[in-house]
Amino acid sequence: MSTRVHPELHRDIARFGGDDITKCMNCGNCTAVCSLAGDGAVFPRKTIRYMQLGLKDKLLASPEPWLCYYCGECSDTCPRDANPAETMMAMRRWLTAEYDHSGRGRRLYTSEKAVVTTILKAAFIPLALLLALHAVTGFQRIVTDRVELNTFAPVMWVWAVVLLHFAFLGYHLMMNALHMIQHIMKPEDPEAKVPWAAYLLELKSLAIHFITQKRWRECGEEHDGQWLTHLLLVSGYVIMLVLVVGMLGWFQTDNIYPVYHPQRWLGYYATLVLIYASAAMLIGRFRKRTQVHRFSRPTDWLFPSFILVGAITGILVHAFRYAGWPWPTYGMYLIHVMAMVAMLDSEVGIGKWAHMIYRPLAIYLMNVKKRTQNQAVPEAGALPTN
Amino acid sequence: MDKSQAQDPLREADNGATAHTLRIGVYVCHCGGNISDVVDVERVVQAASGLSNGVVTRHYPAMCSETGQNLIIDDISNEKLDRVVVAACSPSLHEHTFRAAVARAGKNAYLYEHVNIREQVSWCGKSDPDGATNKAIRLVGAGVAKARLLRPLAPISMDAKRHVTVVGGGVSGLRAARDLARIGLAVTLIERSASLGGHMAQWHLVYPTEDKARDLLRELVDEVIGDPNITVHTRAEVIEASGYVGNFLLRVEPEHITVETGAIVLATGFDLYQPQEGEFGYGQYPEVITLDQLERMLDPEGPTSGRLERNGRAVNNVCLIHCVGSRQIEGIHQPGPDGKLNEYCSRVCCTATLRAAGEIRRRFPRTNVFELYRDIRTYGRGHEEYYDEASRLGVLFCRYEADRPPVVSPAEPKKGPGLICAKHPPGRSGKLNLVPFSAEEPDDSALVVQVKDTLTFGEELEIPADLVVLVTGMVPREIDTLVDQLKLSRSADGFLQEVHPKLRPVELAVNGLFVAGTCQAPMDISESCAAGSAAAAKAAALLASGRIELDPFLAPVDLDVCRGEGKCVEACQYQKAVTLVEVERDGRKVRHAEVNSALCNGCGMCTAVCPTGAIQVEGWRLDQFDAMVDALVADYAETEVSHA
Ligand SMILES: Cc1cc2nc3c(=O)[nH]c(=O)nc-3n(C[C@H](O)[C@H](O)[C@H](O)COP(=O)(O)OP(=O)(O)OC[C@H]3O[C@@H](n4cnc5c(N)ncnc54)[C@H](O)[C@@H]3O)c2cc1C
Ligand code: SF4
Ligand code: SF4
Ligand code: SF4
Repeated sequence: MSTRVHPELHRDIARFGGDDITKCMNCGNCTAVCSLAGDGAVFPRKTIRYMQLGLKDKLLASPEPWLCYYCGECSDTCPRDANPAETMMAMRRWLTAEYDHSGRGRRLYTSEKAVVTTILKAAFIPLALLLALHAVTGFQRIVTDRVELNTFAPVMWVWAVVLLHFAFLGYHLMMNALHMIQHIMKPEDPEAKVPWAAYLLELKSLAIHFITQKRWRECGEEHDGQWLTHLLLVSGYVIMLVLVVGMLGWFQTDNIYPVYHPQRWLGYYATLVLIYASAAMLIGRFRKRTQVHRFSRPTDWLFPSFILVGAITGILVHAFRYAGWPWPTYGMYLIHVMAMVAMLDSEVGIGKWAHMIYRPLAIYLMNVKKRTQNQAVPEAGALPTN
Repeated sequence: MDKSQAQDPLREADNGATAHTLRIGVYVCHCGGNISDVVDVERVVQAASGLSNGVVTRHYPAMCSETGQNLIIDDISNEKLDRVVVAACSPSLHEHTFRAAVARAGKNAYLYEHVNIREQVSWCGKSDPDGATNKAIRLVGAGVAKARLLRPLAPISMDAKRHVTVVGGGVSGLRAARDLARIGLAVTLIERSASLGGHMAQWHLVYPTEDKARDLLRELVDEVIGDPNITVHTRAEVIEASGYVGNFLLRVEPEHITVETGAIVLATGFDLYQPQEGEFGYGQYPEVITLDQLERMLDPEGPTSGRLERNGRAVNNVCLIHCVGSRQIEGIHQPGPDGKLNEYCSRVCCTATLRAAGEIRRRFPRTNVFELYRDIRTYGRGHEEYYDEASRLGVLFCRYEADRPPVVSPAEPKKGPGLICAKHPPGRSGKLNLVPFSAEEPDDSALVVQVKDTLTFGEELEIPADLVVLVTGMVPREIDTLVDQLKLSRSADGFLQEVHPKLRPVELAVNGLFVAGTCQAPMDISESCAAGSAAAAKAAALLASGRIELDPFLAPVDLDVCRGEGKCVEACQYQKAVTLVEVERDGRKVRHAEVNSALCNGCGMCTAVCPTGAIQVEGWRLDQFDAMVDALVADYAETEVSHA
């Protein structure tokens, strides 16, 4: 059966970056140099080819873009300066937008105006909710002679809204992940069925890759620094997430605990790690020294910037509370919350969150396929590379 | 006094020495290992020194070098050599070199004999060095045997017309004519069609400079027409040719003129390959055209005034298929009407196609361009840049294997009013979430091309096409009359064949004939001009002095022996080279053969049929052959290594 070409597709993907790809002459140097391209996955040339010709279904069914960690070696090697690494990035953005049937992903990636309006809209929500709450209950409830944050932002109300927000975002993310699974697992041969056992048996690899993103380390030692920074960022991020989503009632308190109390050191650890990692990323993008940072797009700056703003405003809330300044504390808290809601709304489904889910999912699905094709796979979780 | 004795040049030249007292120098060349790695040159020298006349015998790494030649010259004066034999490479390479060395030493250049022990011995005898050495010894022995019987000969010198005829007024012919005229020779340019310029006059922009072809051409044509040394005949053709180098006679129709000329440059160009009916849909679908038609279409002065359209419709998708009619393979491709396959690469079409594809993308950015190639052969300076540029401009490349050529067929009729975006539900805004690629997709192309693309892991692709362009190459032009009349030789692929592809690339086998441009092989404009200039320089050098020296290897008739039977006249392939004449001899009228030294090619056909041995080719006389054969079968037991 023949596949129809759609040459307009790469012009579409070019809106997500990687517009040098027409220069590619399919020599395959990029695939040869890529330390992640193994026998089961021939990239980046293969996906570049799908993209050039506009074989949209093939591209949607390709997990390969998610197996690339943007070390940039292929772009350094390419004789035509076609920037394969950036193309892989563009494909990830495009795929993310394609998995997202709401159309939000596409808008955020392709229009800076959409990014600004989304941020503004999202930031407006906590402000509006807080104003509405106090308008109903009366502004005089707010304690102003000392710091009592919970009179300004009652923790149970906040928590309830956070949970609602996360449920909404989580639903979206799940749906997008489901679309990804459907595309990748769509059988070429309708008869071929993937047994459920394969899905179950590979869950371990999903967990491992989700937590460690360990495949990145196969890019070579010189990228270990990036991987470590990333791992720190994830640890801080996850701790914060657990504290805010799962334990906000315990975390947002007007008691000042002693320093050895977990509420304090967990918060400090997460904050410091997030500041370090996000600053490192921003500096990298600013200097554009490594390949991965050469072609930053607005959405790439967004996440580390928000993290940095979130961490700094978080520290300031803490500091102002120590100093016993009620209004600065409340104001900073509001800013902190507005920034974090804006971050979540503009990031979930398109940015780093998506990567965190899609990457391990792609490896997992590859392993599931492998297991089905070849029952003799020696060890669960081992994606064969080189 | 015996008349023939007194005239024996051998005796004159050698001060009465007999064949067996002559002093002969034998030189065995290593050819930098080419010979000595296989042949034991020491042993060959040793064997030669055992021959009765081997006065000086040496081996040397490179006889053709300055020092190698000086070795011969010094030996001739110090050792009083009468003959020289060099065993080395093919005589077509260095026979002239060593003859010249002998002449510089004050000897007659024809007292030299060349033995080929490279092509005929070391190269073909690598697996059997002993056998090769034995063969070399025998060949050197035969060379010495012939050298004993060599006689001094005088080269033939003749008047030559300082006039050159150029056949074909394409760019190569124009270049040759103009160069010849500037050197000061008179030139007649004969062009079959009504105008000058050949194929180049049809092209608009040409690689690698993106010049306007017709502007370039106009410059050259103006120079040619304005040159008082050049006479141009258009709508004219050579229909009969006779004569020989320096003095050819051409009859040109339809003007009934006769041109007397000293040399001829053939610049008759190429023909475009004409696809067979149904080849990739050619002749079947009006959307299938050839590359030259595309070039015409892109030309603002062409039939569509430079608009890219077919059947009045804009072209959204162009698909170019490379190598149509070139690089054909037995068992895969259909032979042409002449039963022949075009196995060669037409060389210019890859770059010409890439150039045109880039132009389309630049001028019509909404048009998709696909190139289906077997290999991209951008061999020349500035050619690969076209490949780069075409990619950069978004030309899409697919690669097919010769045994799985693309298939062109009509597109399926469109299904319904076909709208965009079934897959994508409305976005949050409630507006239709249009997917740009399907929105723009010009899916109503008349044809589809199916190709198994090796760049996409053998995927079967389906490419929509409003225009399919067959990249047709060059084929040899029909010039049978010229081939017949001038005795031209053609190579297996049908193009005119030069004497030697590397060392004598613009000379034809018949003395005084030169070849320029695409009648020899596919070339682009730069190469055609280079060939035109080279042919001009060669022809001018030949005719510069107004006299021509020819090798004296022709067939004089021994009038004492000839009985005038005329067998030689029947056997001779060259018109009027040998004729029967009637003369008075001792008061009696006798008939005998007479050879025209300018027309005789020294082929020896006459010698083979002459019943009396009266006609023999100088330098290759029968007694010389006899001596060589004797030497070849002589007993060399002492010096030969037996095959253990
Ligand atoms: C589609 C295409 C695109 C090309 N594009 C380019 C390009 O972009 N750049 C480039 O460098 N090259 C290009 N070329 C190559 C270029 O056209 C040739 O190199 C050039 O035309 C060769 O010139 P020529 O004089 O050898 O032959 P021709 O152009 O064929 O001229 C031969 C002439 O001899 C005449 N003739 C033939 N037989 C006789 C006879 N018996 N008696 C008298 N006259 C005779 C013919 O009428 C003709 O005028 C292209 C070729 C093709 C096919
Ligand atoms: S992206 Fe570069 S290295 Fe990779 S196949 Fe294309 S041209 Fe070659
Ligand atoms: S950026 Fe690195 S991981 Fe990604 S395709 Fe290129 S070489 Fe492979
Ligand atoms: S130059 Fe012509 S014949 Fe040669 S490979 Fe290219 S298209 Fe084929």
